[in-house]
Amino acid sequence: MDAFFVSVEELFDPSLKGKAVVVGGQRHERGVVSAASYEARKFGVHSAMPLRTAAKLCPHATFVDGHPDRYRECSEKVYRVLTSFSPLVEMASIDEAYLDMTGTERLHGRPLHAAHSLHAKMKADTQLNCSIGIGISRLIAKVSSAKAKPNGILWIVPGQEANFLAPLDIRDIPGVGKVTEQKLQGLGIHKVGDLAAFDDSFLEQQLGKWGLALAGKARGEDAGGWFDSEVGADVAAKSISHEHTYNQDTADLQQLESTLMRLSEMVGRRLRESGFHAKTIALKLRYKDFTTIIRAHTLAVPTQLDTEIFEQVRALFRRNWRKGAEVRLLGVHASSFEPQADQGDLLEDSRRQRWQQALSAADRLRDRFGESSVSLATGLKGGFRERTHENPAGLPGKRKSQES
Amino acid sequence: MPVEAMASAVGTSTMEITVSKFELLRELTATQGVVERKTTIPILSNYLFEAAGDKLSLTATDLDLSLRTSCVAKVKKDGACTIPARKLHDYVKLLPDADITIKLLENHWVSIRCGRSNTKMVGMARSNFPSLPAFPTAGIIKIPAQVLRGMIAKTCFAIASEESRYTLNGALMVLKPESITMVATDGHRLAHIERSGEKFDGVSGEMKTLVPKKAMDELKSLLDSTDAESVDFAKDESTLYFRIGPRLMTSRQLTGQFPNYEAVLPKDNSKSITLHGEELSAAISRVAQFADERSRAVRLKLEKAELKLSASSTETGESEDSMETDYNGDALTIGFNAQYILDFLKAAGAGDVKLELKDAQSAGQLRPADSEDYKYRYIVMPMRI
Repeated sequence: MDAFFVSVEELFDPSLKGKAVVVGGQRHERGVVSAASYEARKFGVHSAMPLRTAAKLCPHATFVDGHPDRYRECSEKVYRVLTSFSPLVEMASIDEAYLDMTGTERLHGRPLHAAHSLHAKMKADTQLNCSIGIGISRLIAKVSSAKAKPNGILWIVPGQEANFLAPLDIRDIPGVGKVTEQKLQGLGIHKVGDLAAFDDSFLEQQLGKWGLALAGKARGEDAGGWFDSEVGADVAAKSISHEHTYNQDTADLQQLESTLMRLSEMVGRRLRESGFHAKTIALKLRYKDFTTIIRAHTLAVPTQLDTEIFEQVRALFRRNWRKGAEVRLLGVHASSFEPQADQGDLLEDSRRQRWQQALSAADRLRDRFGESSVSLATGLKGGFRERTHENPAGLPGKRKSQES
Repeated sequence: MPVEAMASAVGTSTMEITVSKFELLRELTATQGVVERKTTIPILSNYLFEAAGDKLSLTATDLDLSLRTSCVAKVKKDGACTIPARKLHDYVKLLPDADITIKLLENHWVSIRCGRSNTKMVGMARSNFPSLPAFPTAGIIKIPAQVLRGMIAKTCFAIASEESRYTLNGALMVLKPESITMVATDGHRLAHIERSGEKFDGVSGEMKTLVPKKAMDELKSLLDSTDAESVDFAKDESTLYFRIGPRLMTSRQLTGQFPNYEAVLPKDNSKSITLHGEELSAAISRVAQFADERSRAVRLKLEKAELKLSASSTETGESEDSMETDYNGDALTIGFNAQYILDFLKAAGAGDVKLELKDAQSAGQLRPADSEDYKYRYIVMPMRI
């Protein structure tokens, strides 16, 4: 999707159209840019940049708070459009997806034709622009869709993959960041074409498995990491976590604990959504000076209840927090998923059942009225805005059912 | 060195006694359980030996639990020393049945002589040994030793070993002027035993005490090896005291609220069958061989005149056993952790047991079919099968 968060904001406030817009928070706030409009990007603003830096680069930009609820909702609409074209859809993030179109020619026609229908239907159903890259692999699709932006379609004709990639910067390959770039430049590799000129074995020798994956990528193949799995294959989640960075570092116990409550609620909600029970609950705590600790506790009985998650993280917090030390970030992490315990509990079952019912009711309210429509009291006191992030709406766990 | 200083230095660092191997070993064995195998505080793996009059006192502690005992000894020089507990126990076991002479040397070394055997052990300064609370002089309650022993045996296996539910890491002892009750639960099952018709002087109203698991275990083994008629029990704000003959066990009290167990005691478990305890135990043991190793789930199927027991797992196969019963009600299938049932049957001993159920989701109750002196019952939560 093109400038997804910005485009969604424009739907709600058309006056933003055509302006330099920065989504993620206000100009003076701590935190980072979630998305910038194409106009703001001209000034060098990009996502993950501190908001304050963005304000310096582009002082006339309009700063907008993120609305995760809106993005999730739009993302679900997008997903529905996509699934009407192919049953094999993989949401790679909230605004990016891969479609396996193999075998759909009789239904949708030739690749470019299918892409045009999809593009038109996307606009009609969601009022949002998207860009489509077509290729024989997810890598080619991703790279070509980036080149097709904004609002374009690009088809890499089979056989032309290497020619298409050769002149591109190595940074254009997904997964190549600063570190790999520096290493490759050290080897005299600047363009993808340079990479393709080397032997696989040389790259493997220099960079290990990742080098081998890169060699494949330079030829336009899906290689390495999640590129190895099938499109649309369910990848079982291993953990669920939520974090919050304060705008102002704080040592206020009440505020810290209510943040933990909110994070526990968010983790609990996603556990229930995915039908998981977590056996390990961890706390992440980052102080003002960026020293970070992670402390975990393993439960006797796996849980998906906000209250039980909170009880554990609060205990971990109280045991590990240096009293009075200012905290920058808190995180709650749930892992070691298990099915619900078979053994009934004499003392806790009825209490757990009541909580389970109450929390499911709260979940239904949130489904209808948004994530912040209902919260446990402790979490309200230190309520914070949910950060905008790019995880696909349906992850982790089972994909959202189509009618939801 | 001034004369006074020298005298006092000598005065605090002497001890010389002779004790029979039999007497010493008996007390060493009785106190071994208290000594922590893994401890970060070295002095806690030592015994404190104190000699005075015609008595040797031995003390072991892990800070939460302490045990102090004594035996007859010929004391040549009063004094005290500390000796590594496990090493001493292992060594004394190997000595011939004769008198042992124990003497404190310089640098906290201790000499142990017996017949032609001669050993010097590395001790630690007596001053490092933690001081222990003294037995109160008032508020002492006498509990019949064998009553207490039986009640511990019938409940202690149900104490939680999982540490997250802190108040379940002990048993609740409730003393009333004419009854004593003990309750233990780990959240999955609960053992409850009550004995009335006793007389507890000094108890008015209701006296509730949370006894930690380790204290229960130690108390049980002390009671197993005593011929004392009764146990002197006392407590203050932080400590519990149990005196059995010459032995005194002190334990830190568990603080916190024991769950409201009365609320979970089943009231309308109307599906009742009477079974022979040993037969039931044998049948469950057999089918449990084929239960899922992690969950240990066995299925109990109640039908007219018959109880079918079964278990299965994909790795090992499936197994079924059946028993005749007097049952005449609606059919019911319920799952239990085999170990939980076996634990009870073992504690209940020989005789018939009653199994009382309501439905597949509610807690089941087991109790001896005929127990006159004790009201003993065991509540088990079923498993989802």
